[in-house]
Amino acid sequence: MADLLTHLLVPYVLLTIASWRVDWLDRTWVVVGMGGAAIPDMVKLNIVLDSNAVEAALGIPFTYAPLSSLGGVLLIGGVITMAFDRRHWSRVFGLVTFGGLTSLVLDGMRVYADGRASAYLYPFTNWRPPTPSLYVSSDPRVLVVALLIAGAVALLDRRQRSAV
Amino acid sequence: MRARYRALVALVLLAGLGGLAVHADVTGDDRWPYPGPEALESDYDRYVDQRTFVTGSVAAVDGTEMTVEADTPNSVLRLRVTGVAAPVEPGGVVQVYGTIRPDRTIAAERVEVVNSSFGAELYKYGASAVGALGFLMLFFRYWRPDTDTWTLEARDG
Repeated sequence: MADLLTHLLVPYVLLTIASWRVDWLDRTWVVVGMGGAAIPDMVKLNIVLDSNAVEAALGIPFTYAPLSSLGGVLLIGGVITMAFDRRHWSRVFGLVTFGGLTSLVLDGMRVYADGRASAYLYPFTNWRPPTPSLYVSSDPRVLVVALLIAGAVALLDRRQRSAV
Repeated sequence: MRARYRALVALVLLAGLGGLAVHADVTGDDRWPYPGPEALESDYDRYVDQRTFVTGSVAAVDGTEMTVEADTPNSVLRLRVTGVAAPVEPGGVVQVYGTIRPDRTIAAERVEVVNSSFGAELYKYGASAVGALGFLMLFFRYWRPDTDTWTLEARDG
């Protein structure tokens, strides 16, 4: 997968542009959407606590893989939503899910040797969407492009807000 | 809604996630179209002449040959990969797509370099750490925990 910083910048760019047209979507809400983008990266918990160790400790099969899937995004999105007051639930859940989906789609565009991405729509389908194989996760150019676009959008956003 | 009910809903959702974690592991081999490292480790000869897709770390490189090590739950599967030269150093990570040949050899059709070296992997984790720290700082600039209601509240009200 792409690095976490790139994952966070994609919803920042998309939601900031959307905020120019949607009144309630200010920076307070944009950061909530960015948080959702981090959900698929939670699969890297495996580095801190190996899934084999969890399996051995619990005595049942276990993998972190669903965290990087649509099912994981929806469930963790629901958990995050519960941290907010009820009047914000629909907004928080929508934004967090959107952020998570941008990460899944971005990861679905990286290189796979057989030309198909992971089954990131699990558990709804095991279908592996075709990937355009645009990048590998350790390619720094991905982050450079994301930073340049985010910087440009941040400048436009500042101009937009000062014009209001 | 009271904090205890929100916590209960969160626990139910986490239990659902736990169920997925178990289901995904149990059905992993059925949902993946190729024999993976675990299957190859347990009964290699059964899969000879079939296609496989393996991700592993590079132990050695010699022209169009490399040795790739893929993790299995209990050990490391060591494979000889032939037929494709890839710009990768030992310590890097590759995806190998090819045909399973006898003697733990994969005749590669395509090799994709995920991390060209251990340094490339470190870069990825470094960028992710910067992202995590930056996000937390940004988030708590706009939101604060309210310990009366046990919710996150916008700082601007």
